[in-house]
Amino acid sequence: MQAPQSKEEKQLETSLDDLLQRVRELKQGISSFIYKLENDYQNISWPNMMEHFGVLSSGLSTTKRLLKAEKMPLLRNYVLFPILLSPDRDPHLEKLTEGRVLAFNHEVVPDYLRTKPEPEVEEKVQLLSVKASSITPEVAQKQLTALNKITSNILDIINASSDEWDKDSNQKNVVPSTSSPQDTLTLISAITKGSKLRRPDPTSMQQCPPMGPTQQQQMQQQQQLQPQKPMPVVGRVPSTIKTNIKAAATSHPYQRP
Amino acid sequence: METTSLAPSLKNIAPQQEYLLQASILDANRDVLLHRLRGLCDNAESNFETFADYEAVYVLSFLESSAVQQSQAVSFRVRHALDDPEAPDHIRYIGQAELGDRARPTLVRACLDVACSSNVREFLQEMGFKLDYDCVMKGYFFHKGRMKVTVYKIFRLLQPGKTDSSNWEPLSMSHLVELSVVAPLGQEQIGEDMKNFAEQLKPLVVLEKFDHRRLHN
Repeated sequence: MQAPQSKEEKQLETSLDDLLQRVRELKQGISSFIYKLENDYQNISWPNMMEHFGVLSSGLSTTKRLLKAEKMPLLRNYVLFPILLSPDRDPHLEKLTEGRVLAFNHEVVPDYLRTKPEPEVEEKVQLLSVKASSITPEVAQKQLTALNKITSNILDIINASSDEWDKDSNQKNVVPSTSSPQDTLTLISAITKGSKLRRPDPTSMQQCPPMGPTQQQQMQQQQQLQPQKPMPVVGRVPSTIKTNIKAAATSHPYQRP
Repeated sequence: METTSLAPSLKNIAPQQEYLLQASILDANRDVLLHRLRGLCDNAESNFETFADYEAVYVLSFLESSAVQQSQAVSFRVRHALDDPEAPDHIRYIGQAELGDRARPTLVRACLDVACSSNVREFLQEMGFKLDYDCVMKGYFFHKGRMKVTVYKIFRLLQPGKTDSSNWEPLSMSHLVELSVVAPLGQEQIGEDMKNFAEQLKPLVVLEKFDHRRLHN
């Protein structure tokens, strides 16, 4: 009998050590966070804050996992009962609790060693359970189905809208499509080089003596005459420009070599 | 030729440079951009400032060979406001984009703006310039400090010389967006400011330094 008992005790000891370690880490995290909030609150940013909360919540969940782990003996099977209460100050206890509990006396023991809820809470629970037991099973069933219905409806709504949000955000991420690179190119080349804006217009320079009809212009004229034919709209109007320029050209007082 | 010495001497009057970033936005998303710009720029409380300009580009080429014609030609852009008949005409010279270093956040080019009387077209033609191309630009105008933002649509004129709106044909389904600052030589800080401003318009429009040498006619 001796051996297994000591093994169990050993297990209890190690798991308690683990638990203590975790709780200590958690406590450290909380206290550093509080310190930061109290003394360095100007510099704390929202993401920073969230980070702290994240660390704390992950600490809590690891502690919880540890309690549920298989190696952990069922702690509720162990009973702690006070043998001696004393109103005197206990320096050892004070040191262990870091100054929070000064003495193991009648005042603090009920609070620290409580295993049941407070009497008022118990009363309330009692009241509720009486009320619950007073309902007939049929009514209870009805209420249950109604509640289930409402819950599933709400769940549907939430799922639907979350799908929509996902779709929305996906669409936003995938296709920004507020501009088209092709159009950018078209517009910029139009504005800087005149592409698509330049009209085939051989007559504008034809009668312009100041420059003298150069070879290049003649070449241009020949090139531009061809595409002009299928476009009667454009072809009809340059004639006005032609006469304008002719008038301007004849009145030109300077002669060029 | 007289005109060869003309361009440099004009440049010496006021050596200004234009810092430029460009992008475009689809017509459907224009209003979103306009509202964002209104919030970002000066005079947020007043209504959008609009403009409608007719621009004609006059070119004078000196060389016989057509291969180098594009780079050797001098061109002037003459604008006049269609929505404000009182406003003077405006002539603008724009140089080639400076090669400079690649790390520069914006395109930089020489630029010269002069207000002038409305007979400037005849004057240019007398000097031997010919009309290269023309268009109508209609859109919105914002400013923030000395940064100027224009959001406008480019229209081709169906029949030359007629600037009433029935004669316009949009060039594309987008508006051109330009962020520009005209400043004296050597103010590199502006480029950074413009880049920061452009950041705030992402991802709606991504204003970029556009290499104009990549463009083809």
